[in-house]
Amino acid sequence: MDTLKPEIARLFAAKEARRRKLAVLSFPEKVRAVVCLQEMAAPVLRARGRKVRVWKLDDRVA
Amino acid sequence: MKSTLQVLNELERDGVIERYAIGGAMGATFYVEPLLTFDLDVFVILPGTAGNLLSLTPLYEALRARGYTEEGECVLIEGVPVQFIPAYNSLLEEALRKARETLYEDLSTKVVRAEHLIAICLQTGRDKDRERVRIFYDQAELDMDFLAGVLQRHGLEGKWKQWTP
Repeated sequence: MDTLKPEIARLFAAKEARRRKLAVLSFPEKVRAVVCLQEMAAPVLRARGRKVRVWKLDDRVA
Repeated sequence: MKSTLQVLNELERDGVIERYAIGGAMGATFYVEPLLTFDLDVFVILPGTAGNLLSLTPLYEALRARGYTEEGECVLIEGVPVQFIPAYNSLLEEALRKARETLYEDLSTKVVRAEHLIAICLQTGRDKDRERVRIFYDQAELDMDFLAGVLQRHGLEGKWKQWTP
């Protein structure tokens, strides 16, 4: 089996560390992050014909 | 989102639903990294229906009376598509009864416990549930004794062993 080069392994480890950091955000912060993900994903999904709606958050101007 | 949760609390207070708790990807997001979803899955126990007929009609009518319209399988409540899922088996009923009370900003709400979300994924068994179990296993702080009890009560220990390292 191929082994990962150390620099690539470091990149993956950093990715994992970031995911763990995101996991401990507060719930409202996570909801805001989900809406950012929706904003990024929506155009791609709509282009594929999927009907999606980006959530309206009370503390954000639509 | 806060206004959406406020409506859910009102529905519970007015007896339209007996109890609700956030589940699905948003429930999981409470415990792990933010997961992309476009629906807010809300598990509900409807009054007088525990274990019997699971009709969402009275709930939909109450929402229509409040001015909220259906959009596919969801109801659009304050800008968030909410999918109501009635507790259809003993695992979901238990998950709802033991859901965790928490605050969203200053508003009280309920989220299904991580251990129950894992059990629901194991029971549902799709590829995306398997991936979610992996994320829970990696990132969530789990009460392993509580999880063992849930898995044992609902016959999911084998699947858990199969799906985790």
